[in-house]
Amino acid sequence: MLVFLQVTLAGLVTGSLYGLLALGIVLVYRTTGVLNFAYGAIGAVCACFMYILLTGPHLNFWLACILALLFALVLGIVLERSFARPVLEAPIFTKAIATLALSLVLQTIAQQVWPQLTSPVHFPTPFEGHALHIGAIYLSLIDLTVLAVTALLMVGLNLFLTHTKLGIAMRATADGLSASRLMGVPVGLIFLLAWSLSALVAAIAGILMASEQNIIDVQFMNPILLLAFVAAVLGGLDSLPGALIGGLLVGLADNLLALLLAGHSIGALPISDPGIREMLIFGGFILVLLLRPQGLLGRALLRRV
Amino acid sequence: MNIQKTTLVPLPAKAPLSDRPHSVQHSRWRAALWSYSRTGRGWPAALGGLVLLALLPTIYDQLFGSSAGFELHRITLIGIFILAALAQNILTGYAAQPSLGNAAFFGMGGYMLAWLTNDLNQPYWIGIVVAMLVSAVLGIIVGTPALRISGAHLAIATLGLVFLTQSLLDLWDTTNGRQSYDLNNLPQFLTDDHALYFTILVVVTIILFALNHLLRSRVGRAWIAIRDSEAAAEAFGVNVTHYKLLAFVVSAILTGLAGALYATWGTTATSTMSSVDQTIAFLTMIVIGGLGSILGSILGAIFVGFLPLLLGQLPSPLMIGPMQIQISTLTIGVYALLLLLALIFFPNGLSSLLERGRTLVAGHVVRRGETQS
Repeated sequence: MLVFLQVTLAGLVTGSLYGLLALGIVLVYRTTGVLNFAYGAIGAVCACFMYILLTGPHLNFWLACILALLFALVLGIVLERSFARPVLEAPIFTKAIATLALSLVLQTIAQQVWPQLTSPVHFPTPFEGHALHIGAIYLSLIDLTVLAVTALLMVGLNLFLTHTKLGIAMRATADGLSASRLMGVPVGLIFLLAWSLSALVAAIAGILMASEQNIIDVQFMNPILLLAFVAAVLGGLDSLPGALIGGLLVGLADNLLALLLAGHSIGALPISDPGIREMLIFGGFILVLLLRPQGLLGRALLRRV
Repeated sequence: MNIQKTTLVPLPAKAPLSDRPHSVQHSRWRAALWSYSRTGRGWPAALGGLVLLALLPTIYDQLFGSSAGFELHRITLIGIFILAALAQNILTGYAAQPSLGNAAFFGMGGYMLAWLTNDLNQPYWIGIVVAMLVSAVLGIIVGTPALRISGAHLAIATLGLVFLTQSLLDLWDTTNGRQSYDLNNLPQFLTDDHALYFTILVVVTIILFALNHLLRSRVGRAWIAIRDSEAAAEAFGVNVTHYKLLAFVVSAILTGLAGALYATWGTTATSTMSSVDQTIAFLTMIVIGGLGSILGSILGAIFVGFLPLLLGQLPSPLMIGPMQIQISTLTIGVYALLLLLALIFFPNGLSSLLERGRTLVAGHVVRRGETQS
């Protein structure tokens, strides 16, 4: 029972990370229609930048963190202007390919600029070694931070989208581009905002993940990007709470499956391998898509003729 | 391209030929004759090219001597890339299915061949056939859900397939305690560069010939109709489900074949054959070459195949200011960058340039043909 609780908690923590990434993915997909496969690379580049600040000029952790987040905002703006705007009118698939290419370009550039990050290195944080014991349950400080930051971001983003003029304009743009343009919404600014906000979320997720694993390299976000996309689709690709719930579901499934499958094997096949776990989650994801193509929380899809 | 679209799509639905009014039949004949004469004019060039390619090894040996083997090996690889590019183009350029999953079939084909020839001691051709069959089955498995899933969801699901296949192939390697799957049991003649070159040349020629006809048949027209408007195609009586699935299966078989041949070419199968990098390479080929064009697939494959050679001409490590850049680490990034630039500035690809040139030269002929049909 205790093990189960502990694993559930771990699932919630990894799930929050997936959920955070899914949030940013949904934010950009909803407003600009770009399926951002470069999302992991954006987060990773920001986290790598922070690592450079921490190890190069030996900045304070929090100062480096703030600078990295600023860097993320700028990166989001640059990417929107130089890359997303020219392909704005292209079909969804073209944009998806473009982001896939963008992720490889970003990673290649990062590898050339910071050659020390091509292989995994230690990511120093002030959280290391601190942990809480609630009863018999163990909760490290960074896990607690992950949960808190996710909750705060979720609430903050939701308040922003529902209660500020800019947020409402953003939702309007997502619902109808030409209509909101006619209503005087500065659509270009909204796209810019969506990209830089999502880059910010990516950077936060990246930094949290690097602190959680204490290891960083240029490609460290790649393995979890797919699961983040699974989470976003489960949530229906159009709702922020849906994305977070999808992330939590995937995180829980990941950790609980790891607990269930640990040490077992079928014949010579070790089914506790992460590859098998990924396959099971992915199979479940396809099943959900087949039964409910709009995702668990999404609205029904309409096909316009 | 536009001309083909307008003449090919709005064919009357499936009524038997004799039911149609005479004039319709007549004009259809004229259109068919017209398009045949258009294909007919390509033949001398194609034959000439073929003869040239058949003589290429000899010419190369004469000109370059010792380094010829390596160059020939590289050209053989382009042949394999052409197959993969054609497969991706059928799925993406013709049937307009946003699938990123072809690399999975590529890896699977290579591993199937390795498994059958190495572990099961089967003859080489059985390995190839089984690799293609397994890819076909996989294509059905992937294609069936794809009929219900569309757009963004399909792109994510198929990209997931690539990741998944890679980790499963990795798992297969690690459980057997090997780094990569070496093919030690290849038939003797395929280890010779010249023989391999001619084998691939024959395979590519046959497949190009077959595809050229397939794409001009009812199947090809149905794919193009689905691409241009799925709803309209359905309304015209095209069995959308059937043809979409067919596109997945044909593409999977071709990619599986390409994967098996690639493993033969490198005498090894690695799990990186099913990776995002590979997906990007395929997409670069068809986007730079031109979507929905056989010629485009060929041009794109040639481009992607030769790019590493061009990059190899740069000094390595390259010094830019304080940075030392190993050229070999750049290849995939350069592909991706070119893909990006092509998507932004040049969305119709290399083949559209040729097409445009041809239209300019034969402008009046084409216009007359359009009014006739």
